[in-house]
Formats: sequence, structure tokens, C-alpha cells
Amino acid sequence: MKTLALAAAELGDEPEGRDATFEAARAGDRAAFDLLMRRHERLVLGTAYRLAGNLEDAQDASQEVFLRLYRNLAKLDAANLAAWLYRVTVNVCHDARRRRPSTVPVDDAPELTAAGDPQQSADQAEQRALLLRSLRMLSEKERAALVLRDLEGLSTAEVAGVLGSSMGTVRSQISKARLKMRDFVERYSRRRL
Amino acid sequence: MSCAIWEERVALLAGGDLETGEAAGVERHLNQCAACTALAADLRRELDGLRQVHAEPLAAEHYAAVRGRVLAELAKPQRRSAVWVWSWAAALAVAAAGAWVVWVAMKPAAVPAPELPRLVAAAPTVERSRAQRAPRKGAVISTHVRRRRTERAASSVNEPRRLEVAEVVTPPLPMPAAVEDSPVRMVQLATDDPNVVIYWLFEEKGEER
Repeated sequence: MKTLALAAAELGDEPEGRDATFEAARAGDRAAFDLLMRRHERLVLGTAYRLAGNLEDAQDASQEVFLRLYRNLAKLDAANLAAWLYRVTVNVCHDARRRRPSTVPVDDAPELTAAGDPQQSADQAEQRALLLRSLRMLSEKERAALVLRDLEGLSTAEVAGVLGSSMGTVRSQISKARLKMRDFVERYSRRRL
Repeated sequence: MSCAIWEERVALLAGGDLETGEAAGVERHLNQCAACTALAADLRRELDGLRQVHAEPLAAEHYAAVRGRVLAELAKPQRRSAVWVWSWAAALAVAAAGAWVVWVAMKPAAVPAPELPRLVAAAPTVERSRAQRAPRKGAVISTHVRRRRTERAASSVNEPRRLEVAEVVTPPLPMPAAVEDSPVRMVQLATDDPNVVIYWLFEEKGEER
């Protein structure tokens, strides 16, 4: 299980909050801020992509998250940066979705056209697209809980902290989200047969 | 037995979200229930598939595009520089101070409300025309009336206001010649409210006083 502390360690954030890159970025060093973005871009863009459902919106959301990061560097603590980024990413994606509800088509993972794709069977590709579509069937809160818990690997307590909910609420959202996804996939598979 | 009550717990078990004791209880149920076992297997397979998809990295240019856009945004000249903001703040402060000075200069001095005369009513009497009485020149009735608002009880909301005569004095004021023989009397009723004065004009007929 990856926790936020582990994520911070992987990303180079020291627990004491004495990260030199972070301090330099806070002092106004743009190169340091660029490095800070590189450290956290997978966290931000990856999460935003799963929440938004398409790359364009995810990139817009990531840009907004990093701009907010830059504006709030003075107030932030490097040790809590990962949690802050998750929280802001979720909020920005929710705001964007409210402004432009369900008008953008969902990507079926078009960005994942890596070298391995030719060997990938059609069934596998379809299954992957189906799973990603099932994410779109969830409510905003259920999707956020599932993405943070199951895809980003945060603990239930950390997800609760990021979403500002109780652990009980998060557990309920996660279990409902998993069951909804399973129902969606099952219905789709049955229809194909 | 319906498995609906187990579904949520099976879903939590599939993601490793149950405490050891609770997980053991669900596992016992799975050993006896094929449907829930299949459900758990489906959930695990789908979660694994989703994690696998999520773990695949996005193309590097997608990350670079975001970084480029952020840095370009930061490189833009700030629309509101610090000098501009401070200039506006200073201008606003000066304007506010000026407005305050003008307001103080233009503010009218407080004028005390004039004291309302308490005895102001005068009305001619008609006694002088009567033969059986000695004429009383300049008979004057002055009345000071104080109005009192009656308390309205909750049960008598519509009860009309009443005026109460507090005292009646009759100072010997000179009567104007033109109205000496007038049968009309006037009484001014002063009320608690200095802005409200009631004039009561009446003509006396019948029995003399």
C-alpha cells in the first residue's frame, strides 16, 4: 500500500519539509519550480486524467493546479505537498466538470499507443476501454474516492483527508463505486453475448 | 439467504479495505456462497485491470505540454503589478479621506427641537351676551392636554388610542375684540409628540356653563 508519506518520499519531498527544490521554488526560482512540476506531474496529470476522462481537460486541470501551486508556495509545507496536490486536483476537476458538464467525449485511452500495443489483443483493448468507461458511470465523489484509493493507492484515511470526508463515507463510496463498475462491465459483457 | 447484505463487504474485501476480523467473516461467507465468490473474483479482476491501465505512463509530451503552458503563464507580465496596486490603494485612501473631510464640513449642526408651548389654547366664551350673568370679559379657556398612548393588550389590538386631559388651567388672557362675541371655542391639544398638535373647534349651544 502506497501512502502519502511514501509518495512524498518517492517524489523527493523530505518529511521535515526542508526540500531544497521546494525552498528554491518558493524563493521564486523558476527552474526549481519546473523541477517541482516534473516531480509531481504524474500525480497531477494522472489523477486529473482519470477524473476528467479525457486528456485535454486533464491538461487544463493540471495547468490550473500547478499555477495554484505556484501562487500558494509560500503557504505550503513540502511534507504535505502531495495531499495538497491531490485535493486541489480533485477540486479543479470537479469545478471544470460543473462548468462544462459531460460535453467532452471520454477518451478510450488513445494516449496509450505504446510499442506494446500491436501485441495487445483486441479483447484486452476492449476490456481496458470498458473499464475506463465504467469510471465515467460513477458520481464525482465515488470516482474521486475510487481513483485515489484504488488507482493512486492512498489509504482510506488519506482519501478521507483529501476529500474532506469521514472514513465511513469514503468506505461507502468506494464499495458502491466498485459494485457499480462491476455491474456496468457485466451488463456490457452480457449484451455482447 | 440474500447476498445483497454481503455485497458491500465483498467489494471492500476485494480492495483490501476490511479489518482482519471483518475480512475473516466475509471469507467464511465466500466459502459457502458461489455467487459472492464470483462477485469477489470479478471485482478483483476489474480492479487489477484498472490499476494496470492507470500504471501505464502517459506520453512524455503530454507532461511537457502542461509544464510549458504553466511556465508560459508565469512568464507573462503581471497585469496588476505591485506598483499599480499600491497606486490604486493610495488613491483610494486619499479619496476616502477627502470624502470624510467634506462630510464633516457639510454636516449640519444639531439644532435642538423648539420647546412646544404647553398652554396655547384660547377660545372666546359667550357668557357676556347672557343677561342673568355678569359679563365676563376675556373669559379664556386654556387647556393643556397631555396625550397618553394606552398600552395595547394582546387581546385588544384594535382598541383606539385615547387622549387624556392631564390638567386644565384658565389663565385670564385678553380676548381679541373681533372674537369676543364668537360662539366658537378652540382648544389646542398638545400631545406627547411635539410634532402632533390637535386643534379642537366647537360651538357652544344650549345650557350656559
